[in-house]
Amino acid sequence: MLQVEHLTKIYEDGTLALDKVSFEVPDGEFLVILGLSGAGKSTLLRCINRLIEPTAGRIIWDGTDITAASGEELRRIRRHIGFIFQEFNLVERSSVLTNVLSGRLGYVNPWQSIIRFPREEVKRAMGNLERVDIADLASKRADELSGGQRQRVGIARALMQEPRLMLADEPVASLDPVLAHSILRYLEQLNREDGITVLCSLHFLDLVRRYASHVVGLKDGRVVFQGRPDEITDQRFKEIYGQEAEQITVT
Amino acid sequence: MERKKPILSSLLSLIVPGLGQMYVGQLARGAVLLLAIALTSLLIHWRESNFLFIGIILAWLWGVWDAYSLARGRPMSLLPPFLIIGVIVYIIGWHVTDINLVGLVTDVADIKPLVSDLVQPAVLERDIETQEAEIIFESPCSDSPPDKGTPLEDEPYLIILDKTCGEVGETFTIEGGNFWPSSRGQIWWLNMAGEMKRRIRQEGEYLNFETDEEGRILPLTIVAPVPFGEARGKGPQRSRVQALLKREVGALHLSRTFFLVVDKMMETIFLALMATTVAILFAVPVSFLAARNLMGGNPITMGVYYLTRTVLNILRSIEPLIMAIVFVVWVGLGPFAGVLALAVHSVAALGKLYSEAVESIDPGPIEAITATGANRLQTIVYAVIPQIVPPYVAFTVYRWDVNVRMSTIIGFVGGGGIGYLLQQWIRLLMYEEAGAAVWAIAIVVWALDYTSAVIRERIV
Repeated sequence: MLQVEHLTKIYEDGTLALDKVSFEVPDGEFLVILGLSGAGKSTLLRCINRLIEPTAGRIIWDGTDITAASGEELRRIRRHIGFIFQEFNLVERSSVLTNVLSGRLGYVNPWQSIIRFPREEVKRAMGNLERVDIADLASKRADELSGGQRQRVGIARALMQEPRLMLADEPVASLDPVLAHSILRYLEQLNREDGITVLCSLHFLDLVRRYASHVVGLKDGRVVFQGRPDEITDQRFKEIYGQEAEQITVT
Repeated sequence: MERKKPILSSLLSLIVPGLGQMYVGQLARGAVLLLAIALTSLLIHWRESNFLFIGIILAWLWGVWDAYSLARGRPMSLLPPFLIIGVIVYIIGWHVTDINLVGLVTDVADIKPLVSDLVQPAVLERDIETQEAEIIFESPCSDSPPDKGTPLEDEPYLIILDKTCGEVGETFTIEGGNFWPSSRGQIWWLNMAGEMKRRIRQEGEYLNFETDEEGRILPLTIVAPVPFGEARGKGPQRSRVQALLKREVGALHLSRTFFLVVDKMMETIFLALMATTVAILFAVPVSFLAARNLMGGNPITMGVYYLTRTVLNILRSIEPLIMAIVFVVWVGLGPFAGVLALAVHSVAALGKLYSEAVESIDPGPIEAITATGANRLQTIVYAVIPQIVPPYVAFTVYRWDVNVRMSTIIGFVGGGGIGYLLQQWIRLLMYEEAGAAVWAIAIVVWALDYTSAVIRERIV
């Protein structure tokens, strides 16, 4: 169970990105965070694994206060939380295999990891690449890959962490609609087969209806909707996206 | 709005330039005018070129007029006074730097021999063959003067026709034969042991001769020079008079100068290589400390960042030439001093370039690696280093190229390498040899410049 309590983030320039956000995520949920660009989705996800320091509020995961952790404890928490980025955030000049292996850095001996990874970790990496169907690309450089392939490398990297929670920040916003479904299907599979809790930010409503088990709507840093995807009526939709919004269908 | 009085304003400007402008509220305008006139006056005073004060007075009066017009709400252009001040500054500049365009044109012939030596560097030469013969002269006369010599059958010889001894400054006449025909030769003056010698000069000119078609030296009068050595003025002393002919024989081959230049050029390249390598070892760790995006975490690391930046900036502002002088005093003349001077300067230069490369990396991968629970060291190894290797290599190659160029100059103050040789040759007026060194530097610098450009293009 992940509990977000009164989470507030004010950036140094005074921008209020999150305003007392509170919600709960039971284990095994596929929670979608819905909202416009700038609604605070990225900030919220990054506060959960403390890539961004929250200004106030608490995040409690299975009884552990993530917001209070520091140093070694924070790193141990982080290694169980996978993160998938909109821009993939791969090291472009490194090989696919190295990129995937880097997901394991929180587990291996730091000094050993600088020289080379143990054999069983390489095996694990190949296994995860197979899982996202790109094992044949292992020796390619990351910058030789297409967008969809890169995001699959991003998923394989996160899987190396053996995560119990997966955070995905607009994982399909940089991809075309067909690829969007293929990437989200991998996340759905992880959620159903491995029981990994998924927190995913999206902004296309039909993707939300197709994949989410629960939705949190954000607008200007505040929670404006909580509930099941089928509860998002036209009225609710306009509350989240503003009055001029029209629903767009993604194939 | 209250109208200021034009007369008062212009009077103020007459007393102190710019004061009237300040009075009507144009503070910056008045201050700039005052500062410009004051500084230019100081310059004129420094050069004691008092006639230039006419310009100052003109600018000053313009300021008075401007103050008057400003007070009536019609500002004037400040271009004329600043043009006048500009002209004054450039007149002073012309004098200070001793610009002499006439000399530039009329003395152009002076550099002809220099240029012609530079364009035919001493790279190739032939072997030299010599022919010589000697006769002995005594000064002053003893009881048994040396004999006059006898003509030989097939070897070159010298004989004295009149007297074989005499006081310094007396004349005697020599004659010779069996030399190479129709060749120019020199007359040398040696002590008996032969370890001290000089060419004989008469009336300021070196004494030369030319053999006839049969290889004879026709009678040649010599004014007896001062003998060498300790025994001078302590009784009769014998000296050797030598006729010397030289000619080039055989094919052209690479000269001794060429090999010397190659040798020192290699020293220069290695000097730059060692300096660059030492610089890399220090600059790489330093560059992480001087990168804002890595050090921005907390006040302590930020303090380290500012400290590192300051030290780098100070080091970079010290010319390598000055560092070379310091290190020559420290470790003595030679390439090691040059290595140290270039290394210190390169640490500063590379440290800055490297840290800027670190600052311009994509923060995305760092975020991703941090999110996996990696520690700071792992994040640097997996997210930062792969991104900075290409720019680091490019900057390093470029720096090596710069260091080769700099080490030629470093040599001028004794820091080793080809510059040292070049500087000596220039001082000894050996321009053909200096030409060889200049060509070698040009070729190596060009080659390295080209190579480093190719490498950088490939990597970045």
